[in-house]
Amino acid sequence: MTPRKLLTILVLVGALGFGYYSMNAAPVMSDQDYTYQGGIEWHEDPDEALSVAEQEDKPVLVYYWTTWCTYCQDYEDDHYQNEEIQELLDEYVLLAINLDEPGDGSSLASDHDALYPPMHVIIDDNEEILGQLGGFTEEDRFKEELETGLATH
Amino acid sequence: MMGTLLSMVPASLTGGTLLIIVAAFTGALATVLLFYSYLAETDEFRKPILLTSGIATVSLVIAHLYLTYQFIVGDYTNAYVYQNSADHLDLLYKITGVYANHEGSILFWATLTAIVATYTVYSSRFQGLGSRLVQSLSLGVVTTFAVMLVTQSPFTPIEVARSGVPDNYVPPDGSGLNPLLIDPWMAIHPPITFASYALLVVPFALGVTHFVALFRGQDSVFREWLPSMILWLRVSWLLLTAAILFGAIWAYGVLGWGGFWSWDPVETAVLIPWLWLTATLHAANRYSKTGEYKLFAPAAAAIIFPLIIFATTVVRSGVFRSVHSFAAGGIGAGVLFLLVVTGILAVGLPLAYWLLNGGDESSTDRDWLSHGPIFHAVVLSFAVLAFISVWGLLFPVVRSTITGVEVSVGQDHYNLWSYPVVVAMLIVGGLYALLDMRKRRLAIGATVAVTVATLIAAFIAPSGNWYLSDPAAHDPIVYRVVGNMSVLSIVPPALFFAGTWTARFVSRAKGVPSRSFQMREAGILLIHVGAAVMIIAISFIYLFAASSSVVVVGLEDVGNPDTIVEESDDGQYTVEVTGYDSDTTPGVEEAALTPEEVLTAYEDTPLVRGEVTAIDQIEGTTVAQLDGSDIWLAGSPNSVSFEEGEEVIARGTLFEFDSEADGEAEAYVYTDEENLGTVSDPPSDVHTPRVIDHQMDITVYEGDEKVTSGTIAAQDHTDNEMNTNDPLIQRGLTGDTYVVATEIDEIGAGLTITEYPLANQIWFGVIMGMVGMVLLLVGDRRRNAN
Repeated sequence: MTPRKLLTILVLVGALGFGYYSMNAAPVMSDQDYTYQGGIEWHEDPDEALSVAEQEDKPVLVYYWTTWCTYCQDYEDDHYQNEEIQELLDEYVLLAINLDEPGDGSSLASDHDALYPPMHVIIDDNEEILGQLGGFTEEDRFKEELETGLATH
Repeated sequence: MMGTLLSMVPASLTGGTLLIIVAAFTGALATVLLFYSYLAETDEFRKPILLTSGIATVSLVIAHLYLTYQFIVGDYTNAYVYQNSADHLDLLYKITGVYANHEGSILFWATLTAIVATYTVYSSRFQGLGSRLVQSLSLGVVTTFAVMLVTQSPFTPIEVARSGVPDNYVPPDGSGLNPLLIDPWMAIHPPITFASYALLVVPFALGVTHFVALFRGQDSVFREWLPSMILWLRVSWLLLTAAILFGAIWAYGVLGWGGFWSWDPVETAVLIPWLWLTATLHAANRYSKTGEYKLFAPAAAAIIFPLIIFATTVVRSGVFRSVHSFAAGGIGAGVLFLLVVTGILAVGLPLAYWLLNGGDESSTDRDWLSHGPIFHAVVLSFAVLAFISVWGLLFPVVRSTITGVEVSVGQDHYNLWSYPVVVAMLIVGGLYALLDMRKRRLAIGATVAVTVATLIAAFIAPSGNWYLSDPAAHDPIVYRVVGNMSVLSIVPPALFFAGTWTARFVSRAKGVPSRSFQMREAGILLIHVGAAVMIIAISFIYLFAASSSVVVVGLEDVGNPDTIVEESDDGQYTVEVTGYDSDTTPGVEEAALTPEEVLTAYEDTPLVRGEVTAIDQIEGTTVAQLDGSDIWLAGSPNSVSFEEGEEVIARGTLFEFDSEADGEAEAYVYTDEENLGTVSDPPSDVHTPRVIDHQMDITVYEGDEKVTSGTIAAQDHTDNEMNTNDPLIQRGLTGDTYVVATEIDEIGAGLTITEYPLANQIWFGVIMGMVGMVLLLVGDRRRNAN
């Protein structure tokens, strides 16, 4: 085998490997069950989230977002990465609804008058509203709201 | 009789569409006749072939000129003209409106392709066995374009294209051109892109023909046409490089966020054929010199065209935004058809031949460190770079189709995968130049030294900016490894590459008396050194771009006589605002209709301007005649008052009457206090201008030192809710200072000041490469002439 041929084969194998690797390495935006805002697993189906909340006796944090909303990006890059906030989020069932494609979440969005992202609403498994936070807030304020939500639950 | 016949012609069949139908029909005939001539090896249809291909080309040329004419005169009965032009545009942008959308672009591309294809039919230089198939394939592409244009014609009348429009309706004005496209760089970008694309149709046909001939055990014209094919590939490379450069310059200045490249699908898509074209040029040159790549060179030449169609699919079909709009309309489906057919011909045929008949055994080099394998590594690397980009576009679509999982592809995919390949290419390219000078020991020594230097440099990062990326801990290992490399690692390979190619030039050109040879060699040198300059600049610009922001409030008070001085958030800059102004286009005076125009404009609440020539009272209403015409203003006496001889502007509800008598009111415009004013004090609030242009005069200081001063502006385009802006760019040897405000109004503005290091070296490197290509073209041409 000439060097040229061997080189060609090596590059082809390398290219295939790259193709497989890079496809699986890409950050997942959503799959059938969950969406991954800020690298956290969020439910997309409200009914599912509510029934999990009932089983686990947890409140539900509803996060209304869109792809183009820069404040949502700030939430995802900063707030959700904050460890104290993540501990609080563990006590919630998380539900994220893309306002551009709300799907099953559209009736919930209209109940909550969620017109502009970002918006956070805390509800219990009977859809009773425990707290509401429109727009962008600092991390401390966001944390407080999550704590109040848990206290009222 | 004629009347009934004419009424059978559907309304969508306009003169322009008819021309395209003629082109499709004659193009198809020429394609078939040429194909038959190839199979039967006959020349008896020469005359009809000349005739049909000629008619097809002339029809397309006329159709294109006719469309351009419609744009120039503003024939808005044509829906395409209506959608992409308007009266207020300058002549240049009326002409370039032709390319603003799919139909016009495809027509232009088809026209240029037809000219190129027909040129090969007419010219005596392109004859011989297999030439008929080359011409048949080229005209087949033209015919496909024409058929696409028949189903989605740029000459569709407005009453067909839009429902609810009455027959014979003539819109008073067009709906305008996307304001981002109103820019000189964008005016020349499409024509040179399509010119480049059109030149690539013959290499495609020639490559395919070569493999058909190989399968049939015949000779083909590939070898004979090779010199002219290399010429076309080079011109095409030059044009495509210019097209990408102009696009980048436009993005840098006009999009206003200072980016010249963001791996947007459209940008990535056009880079792919460019990379492949560069690989092909290398392989074709090698083939013409040494006979290596006797399968790859024709295959590579053929594949560029499907890659262009792929780029067009990305740009035009919308598949990369939404999978569902894929085949909407004739052009989406047509482009898809072309992609599949040309892809099978250009990739399938060579692959099948290679699998059945074995590889390209022309290279017998057994030594890894010799010309052949080293050169091959570079060619393969170009292909790998192209694949990284193709895959970045494709795999999100592939993965979501198969598994329903949506993934995002960021800049990291392209940057971090391509970077090591580019570094390796620079080192291997330098090694090649040294081997070419027959300095084997030096070559090996220097390459090892540079590789070591590169590896060491990868660990030297004086600050966080030097890292190629900012990978998170959970990112895949490749991204973490490459992302944590220092950008300093590009410097040794790039310098090595530029240095060795310069040395190669000196050793080759020294003592050779031929000026054309020296010119050619200088061209090759400039292309390679230009690439090294560009690669260094691109690597540094984004990593070291640093932004500060400044908020300015109270612009309405500026200039009488105050100036506003604000400091940036990080304290680095001070901005002094010395002036603020805003213009509206058109102003209310310009926008107001004359009384005559009111009757034909079909507006429910027109804005009208005229001199009051008579005043009357009718049933408790004050009325005033305008310019002695049949149009009267009307209003309640306690709300409006008129004065004879006064010129007024008013908006109001139109009531029309059938009145035959002259001077009698034919229509009233009911107005009131808020909607009425004199020309000197017009009711500006009731008029929505097309553009509001806010300008501010600023001076930027860094410490006590003045960095730049001038005007920045931001425009609101009210009809399509878009914003454009004019940044202030202070260009310098070490980099640009780029000041932009995305929104300005009388209340305030938010400014961003960004330093882009080495920005001009990017343009410089690319232009150097283009100059090099021109020298190469001219030098080679002279050499061949001698």
